[in-house]
Amino acid sequence: MKKVIAREKLPELWKSLAAKGPLFLPIQEGPVVLFQPWSEGAEANLDAVNTAVSAKDVFLPREETYLQYRCSGNQLELIPVENAEPVIAFGVHPCDLKAVEMLDKVYLDQEPSDELYRQRREKTTVVGLSCREPDPFCFCNEFGINPADAPGADVMAHLKNGLVLLEARTDKGKALLDQAGDLLQDGSDEKFEAAEVKTADFGLNLEGLPENLKERFEDPVWDELYKSCLGCGVCTYVCPTCYCFDVEDFGHEGEGQRFRCWDSCMYGHFTDMAGGHNPRAGRKERVRQRFMHKLQYYPETFNEIACVGCGRCLRSCPVNLDIVQAIKALGGETVEQR
Amino acid sequence: MAERNVESVNKVREAVSQDLLGGRIDLLLGWEKGHYWWQSRPLFARSEADLEKLAWDSFCAVNLSRYLLEELKDHDKVGVLVKGCDARAFNRLLQDNMVRREQVILYGLPCPGMLDYNRLVEKAGGAPLEITEENGRVIIKVGSGEQEAQRDDLLLDKCKDCRYPDPAVYDQLLFSPQGEKEVTERFKTVEELEEMSAEERFGYWEKELSRCLRCYACRQACPFCSCRECFVEQENPRWQGRAYQPSENFMFHLVRAYHGTGRCIDCGECERSCPVDIPLQELNRKLIKDINELYGDYEAGLDPEQEPPLLTYRPDDPAAFSEK
Amino acid sequence: MSSANVLMPQQATILDITEETPDIKTLRVVGKEGMPFDFMPGQCAMLSVPPVGEAIFSITSSPTCRECLEFSIKDVGNVSGALHGLQPGQQIGIRGPYGNGFPIEKMKGKDILFIGGGIGLAPLRSLIGYCFAHREEFGHIDIVYGARSPADLIRKSEVRESWAAEPDTSVYLTVDAEFPDWNGHVGFVPNYVSELAFKPEGRIALTCGPPIMIKFVLQALDKLQFSPEQVITTLEMRMKCGVGKCGRCNLGSVYVCKDGPVFSLDELNALPSEY
Ligand code: SF4
Ligand code: SF4
Ligand code: SF4
Ligand code: SF4
Ligand code: SF4
Ligand code: FES
Repeated sequence: MKKVIAREKLPELWKSLAAKGPLFLPIQEGPVVLFQPWSEGAEANLDAVNTAVSAKDVFLPREETYLQYRCSGNQLELIPVENAEPVIAFGVHPCDLKAVEMLDKVYLDQEPSDELYRQRREKTTVVGLSCREPDPFCFCNEFGINPADAPGADVMAHLKNGLVLLEARTDKGKALLDQAGDLLQDGSDEKFEAAEVKTADFGLNLEGLPENLKERFEDPVWDELYKSCLGCGVCTYVCPTCYCFDVEDFGHEGEGQRFRCWDSCMYGHFTDMAGGHNPRAGRKERVRQRFMHKLQYYPETFNEIACVGCGRCLRSCPVNLDIVQAIKALGGETVEQR
Repeated sequence: MAERNVESVNKVREAVSQDLLGGRIDLLLGWEKGHYWWQSRPLFARSEADLEKLAWDSFCAVNLSRYLLEELKDHDKVGVLVKGCDARAFNRLLQDNMVRREQVILYGLPCPGMLDYNRLVEKAGGAPLEITEENGRVIIKVGSGEQEAQRDDLLLDKCKDCRYPDPAVYDQLLFSPQGEKEVTERFKTVEELEEMSAEERFGYWEKELSRCLRCYACRQACPFCSCRECFVEQENPRWQGRAYQPSENFMFHLVRAYHGTGRCIDCGECERSCPVDIPLQELNRKLIKDINELYGDYEAGLDPEQEPPLLTYRPDDPAAFSEK
Repeated sequence: MSSANVLMPQQATILDITEETPDIKTLRVVGKEGMPFDFMPGQCAMLSVPPVGEAIFSITSSPTCRECLEFSIKDVGNVSGALHGLQPGQQIGIRGPYGNGFPIEKMKGKDILFIGGGIGLAPLRSLIGYCFAHREEFGHIDIVYGARSPADLIRKSEVRESWAAEPDTSVYLTVDAEFPDWNGHVGFVPNYVSELAFKPEGRIALTCGPPIMIKFVLQALDKLQFSPEQVITTLEMRMKCGVGKCGRCNLGSVYVCKDGPVFSLDELNALPSEY
């Protein structure tokens, strides 16, 4: 099913879609664009290449409350909190959607599967959005991603000359376009071939990298690479393939909630044990964990590198220590470039 | 890039290589280029080959002084390139007894202010290919031609209202000083915020802070945040929870800002590091302004001998709370 | 539906609390309907005390005990501290079981050597109870257990009286230094193991205790010619989920909460030594 809508009509579309439940969009929030629920007056920005923080926020929210507790005297009541209402994620770029599929492997495919994640994932209708102009940090081509198409999307959207072309690819997607009703016009005549998009070429050679890294846990590379890292965790918070979380209570003795929230292997606290021992006590161990997890541990289990080339860690690391630098330092560079 | 940069970086390299290769310092903290010409990353130079990578241009924003905290554990003597803010950061660490002066050699770099890539893109209306700088003007080359802009309009926020671009402390000054700059807008936003009603102001901050990821990058980048254990991670008592609740947001931001009262050197590294651009400088500058008004002008990091106002007691200190 | 949420604890009640040592208490815990879940020796459970939070503890009772779960807990952190402050009758949260448990199949028909130090007896005790309940499946059982002082030995009477009285079982207790009320062996656990000169043939050695003790026990066993496959130990890590998702307890691509905490030495040697 193919439909079109004029770009200036989009606010009407947002309004109609948001009436049924949360509609996540790249929203201009002051100086940054973030994937957030749209509300009347919010300024959607479909031209932004990538949101500052990835779209994983929709599927694995930065904070997710899953139980409520009540204590009185000896008694403790633990009440599950239901979270998942149907959600629309509109404007997810191909790299971000590919990253969600990487989260699926951890949260769904690997036993035991994670129900909190499953419900959000299943109840979310994803409208993918093709990229027209990547920025200098986008390097998704390197991971076989085509910026013009997000294969896993329920609806694929393209921006073209003041029009938004929408192609439903799943039943969920069709239902979404149906829901929009008269706001959309028939688009069966529109051509949907998005132009090929070339992303940055950093001269990487990822062939065999995971296998090569297997023996390099003690490599001297790590003694240098970590040095500039501030341990700020930004790289992991903005990264669409990072999925680590913490569990904490919010409340007092009488009542409160338990939630999980993003956490990061870049923090010392992450692995700090009660009693004081910390297996990853320094920045070196933590930087190694991050890059090894992406480039060796995850691939060892799931057969692909846990990076989609979204470029966020290149954009956001305050000291420009990023995955491309790591890959190069670890030898994943084409020989000519050296 | 521009000739001027080649010249000046050579000068820096010359100055430090004698010391590094001659063994006067064991390590030099400087910058090297990142993937692109408009990116730099910290350089930890120990050899001549390392020094080849040295960079000194309009994109060396990262404050290097903070790395002393770690590097002085492994090295007897470390050299650091310091811009105005880096030098104030050094003084900050010195005053907090986190570094020893005799272990460090400071190479002072009077700073013209660092440029913001995003502003270049904005001005040029597209991805800039390269720039040349001349007499306060920047010529930006883009695919379709050239754009000219005032250098001052392209500065990073953190450099816009920098009053002391010259290092306040150094062993060797590598270029001629810029002189104290007149800044007019340093407290402009703070004043606007002060004009608001309490409710408006609360609403403003609630909204701004609502996008805080609480990654604490602002803390990690900050030269005054050098506590071995931050209140944020303290387990017992657990001051700071992780919930994304307004109360937890305010808890973090207020305590962080207050811990900086009279200690924040106004380097802007916190704001520059924030992945969601929270205007942290507005909070910091509100406290700087208050300190100035209550205790007389005080610029943290300028003079390590001058005690921060909140660490000294004078019988005639104003008692702001009881007066108002 | 949310019952399938792996992070959702169920309600449990503390039946009673025994003070083992100045900083270790044993809690007996039941679920709403008896046993909260079935488990195997070596597995762990998450206990929660809102609003303090959750932490993981090894189950010290044997799966053959069908009345309750037992946890011997040392007061080292926030949650363990909170658990220490509770009274019998108090309800808490529990979820589990987590981890792989001890390799019982591999142990069958073998002589078993247990080497425990301090609180490290807790996970071994679950297995020891299991072995006694299935006595015919195992050969001779040796138990070496030590602590800093007599006061720091847990389950003292059980170890001395019940275990020592089991058929074909030898119990060796030791403390680090001389104490007035102690007339048993004095010396560190690893040294005692060397002194006792256990033969590796047909034997599996299992050791749990403080990291430094484990380190020297492993050296002692190596000297006694135990091969890495014959030596089994458990690891401790900070854990939050228990199911291999939250990302903090890994050694390379192995997650201690899910793929451990029990490892044989040869398995451990193949992993990054990040513990
Ligand atoms: S963003 Fe950069 S400095 Fe911060 S933790 Fe990641 S690598 Fe380190
Ligand atoms: S590692 Fe960096 S480039 Fe790769 S997916 Fe994560 S943020 Fe994007
Ligand atoms: S271990 Fe680190 S790199 Fe891997 S998913 Fe977790 S936070 Fe990201
Ligand atoms: S760096 Fe920004 S997002 Fe992170 S804690 Fe600080 S203000 Fe919040
Ligand atoms: S609070 Fe910000 S501006 Fe102040 S010293 Fe710290 S990083 Fe610099
Ligand atoms: S405790 Fe979460 S992955 Fe092991």
